[in-house]
Amino acid sequence: MAADATAKAPRDFTYITPRRRRVSEYEAVNLYGQPSIDGGWDIDPGMLRTPEGRPAWRVESTRLRHPDWFDFRDPSQLWQRTFTKLQAEQERSIERATEDAVAEGTFEDFDPVWLQEMARHYRVWSFVEWGLFRAVFSASRECLTDALSAAFTFEAFDRLRHAQDVVHYLLAIETAMPSFSDAGAKEVWLTDPVYQPLRELVERLMHVTDDWAEVAVVLNLVFDPIATETAVSRLIGRHAPLHGDGVTPAIVRTTERDRRRNRAWTEELVRMVTAAEVPSASANREIVSGWIESWTPAVVAATELLGAVHARFPQRSAEFSDLLKAVLSAQPDLHIDAEVGA
Amino acid sequence: MTTAVLAHDRIKDFDWAPSYVPGSTRYPTKFKIPGKTKDPFRTLVREYLSMEQEKDERQYGALEDVLSRTGAAARSDRGWMEALKLVLPMLVYAEYGAMKNMAQLVETVDNPELRQGYLTQALDEQRHVNQELYLLRHFARHAEDSEGFDRGMRVRGSNVFGRASRCCFENYFVNDPIESAITLSVVTETAYTNPLFVPLTEVAAFNGDDVTPGVFLSIQSDEARHMANGYSTLAAVLSVDENLPLAQEAFDRAFWCQHAFLDPLLGALYMYFTPQRINYVEKWQEWIVDDWVSGYIAKLERFGLKIPKHFAHAAERLQWLPHTAAMVGAATWPFHWWRFPGLDERGMEWMEQQFPGWHAIYGSFWEGYRALQDPKAGMIPFQAFPAAPPLCRVCAMPTVFPHPGAPTARVVEHAGRLHAFCSQPCQEIFDNCPERYLQMRAFDEIFDGWGLDEYIVKNGLLRADGRTLVAQPHVDDTKPMWTIDDIAKLGVEIVDPLRVLAAQNAGAADDSAAPTDGSEG
Repeated sequence: MAADATAKAPRDFTYITPRRRRVSEYEAVNLYGQPSIDGGWDIDPGMLRTPEGRPAWRVESTRLRHPDWFDFRDPSQLWQRTFTKLQAEQERSIERATEDAVAEGTFEDFDPVWLQEMARHYRVWSFVEWGLFRAVFSASRECLTDALSAAFTFEAFDRLRHAQDVVHYLLAIETAMPSFSDAGAKEVWLTDPVYQPLRELVERLMHVTDDWAEVAVVLNLVFDPIATETAVSRLIGRHAPLHGDGVTPAIVRTTERDRRRNRAWTEELVRMVTAAEVPSASANREIVSGWIESWTPAVVAATELLGAVHARFPQRSAEFSDLLKAVLSAQPDLHIDAEVGA
Repeated sequence: MTTAVLAHDRIKDFDWAPSYVPGSTRYPTKFKIPGKTKDPFRTLVREYLSMEQEKDERQYGALEDVLSRTGAAARSDRGWMEALKLVLPMLVYAEYGAMKNMAQLVETVDNPELRQGYLTQALDEQRHVNQELYLLRHFARHAEDSEGFDRGMRVRGSNVFGRASRCCFENYFVNDPIESAITLSVVTETAYTNPLFVPLTEVAAFNGDDVTPGVFLSIQSDEARHMANGYSTLAAVLSVDENLPLAQEAFDRAFWCQHAFLDPLLGALYMYFTPQRINYVEKWQEWIVDDWVSGYIAKLERFGLKIPKHFAHAAERLQWLPHTAAMVGAATWPFHWWRFPGLDERGMEWMEQQFPGWHAIYGSFWEGYRALQDPKAGMIPFQAFPAAPPLCRVCAMPTVFPHPGAPTARVVEHAGRLHAFCSQPCQEIFDNCPERYLQMRAFDEIFDGWGLDEYIVKNGLLRADGRTLVAQPHVDDTKPMWTIDDIAKLGVEIVDPLRVLAAQNAGAADDSAAPTDGSEG
């Protein structure tokens, strides 16, 4: 009897409804670590309360509603092992590119004005990434499923990585060229009028935006595609070669890879909450659209000021207004209406 | 200055005070947080990634390669596999709670030197969640009796001990964030990860399990950094004099809450599930008394922090806690998602030899347990007890400790409702902040009135054949297995003892027109 009973055992996790035919490694190692907010089979979303009376997780942590947050799957299917491997490889590629540049004396070929902008504008961006790391890490605490928590935690790590990579890289330049210094960049971040609207946006995301889904939508679908794309990809990544700098784009490309991944999971979140079968799809669509509409003008206005950085470059590939137009026209199309109407 | 030191100094300078918006107070604390402290965690992202990738490759490489192909999981002792069925889903929540703690501390501790340590620890905790679920799945695929491994995560929230584990681990993030940090880092990671992970790997190896040690040693290798995070957080907090009394009270509660669940659990795991037993009380002496108290806490004395108030009480009752927990777990075996092996003569001799006086308290229970292993006996040990004890409102464990002959349980009324406590310290913790516990529903309050058979069916505790229980009172496949029909015949019903007591009290009050419930508060 015992042999019969065990012979038919499922031999895999029975509580996961796989997205494909079988439970994937990503699903197996991530799902149901967090209790579900509506009780579900975990009975309680949390057992204890804080001294202020709040439970472990709260449905009001976002204005979006979904009948089962555990439906979420990160399209990248990353879990800690694959994430760590990916980022360790990216870091090694950056380290090698920097080492080679030091050995070959490449930094000497950089345009001197460009080097100043690296010390100023690129270094300022490390503060932006630090602030965004803080915002994303806080969102990871409150989100309503483990798969989202993992996506937020990885994104927080991406942003800390970007912030630290700027410092490591500029320090390598400083070591190779003792006259180079990025001292004073923090003061620029704190006082230069060019960066103040950006700093205000970052501070709002860090300290005021309590809705974790809003943090994801604003950051990955508005801020990064407009502000980070302009400040890092267009101003630094694309202008570096014009100033004799073939090294920095290799670093920028790793951050672009991360941004594409973070945009993809956020788009998947939006798709999930606005899918036709979701009862609150219409309300969710309005909320997401509202976030995008309310943040976009401020992000665009803050980004427009970066024209002052562009104006200082000795070599320019295009007018700043054209550059910004191209960035805005490449904004992700969310297809929200199509999904709901489907 | 080396470039590493320069890089570190610049990275520590990332934070700034917001000037456009007020600073957030998402996780308020009653502690005062200083702006400066020592950074314990001089590991930058780059080195961290490289180090963790190497560890991952070693550990997962072994699991994927030799251990899977050689059928290592199937060679492990059957009782030990049941212990892992029980403990792994519980531990996943501990790791998950630790991750949430880090995401709170980054808000609360306004100190750039610690913030990156918190994120790196959060990724470590994500690592441990993934590792433990990977291990569970490995056993679901390869263990001789896989049922239970396949659904522990599904059923832990409706199990009496699973709920107690959630209660224990929610202290890591559902509390004042600094008290949570003290609970997680100063008590659990510094005191308890050693008696948890080190003997766990030893017992696993003694019992033929070559799979688990690699995973847990790899997890344990991250813990030293977490202890450093905890030490620095605490040192920062204690550098402000007015925090000391608050920190001492938090430390006292934190220790008791972890002791109340972890010591009975770990003791029962290491002494009752395997033929190769280790004396948990000796391990406790080694890791908690000699190492933690004499080494670690002694270092904290310069800040004025003292050994937790109820430490001596915990040490005294430790002698019997694991045995009582094992007895309750075995008595309620059909409620669980694991099989509970009995004790043979050799096991009983070992117990008496290691714990003189054991036989007089527990001997007859285990003899009876053996007699009731066959479904033909028509009875489960649970039925031999006059009534189930109520569950503690603070630790969610049954109120039978340290042992049934000398219980320290008490029932009190608060805000029109009865609450049971396993001990005076648990009651003291409740009295300090009842709001933390008033929403908590005990296992028997949720399932009051359910038939045991109904509980088993509705909670998914039947095997793939739809009639045999996942749980069994033995791990021997040559012995008959209990089915849902055998359970249905028993007519066992889950009863909330506090409801019964409240009804009795109301009846007594009606009879005498005076409250005679004997309760306090």
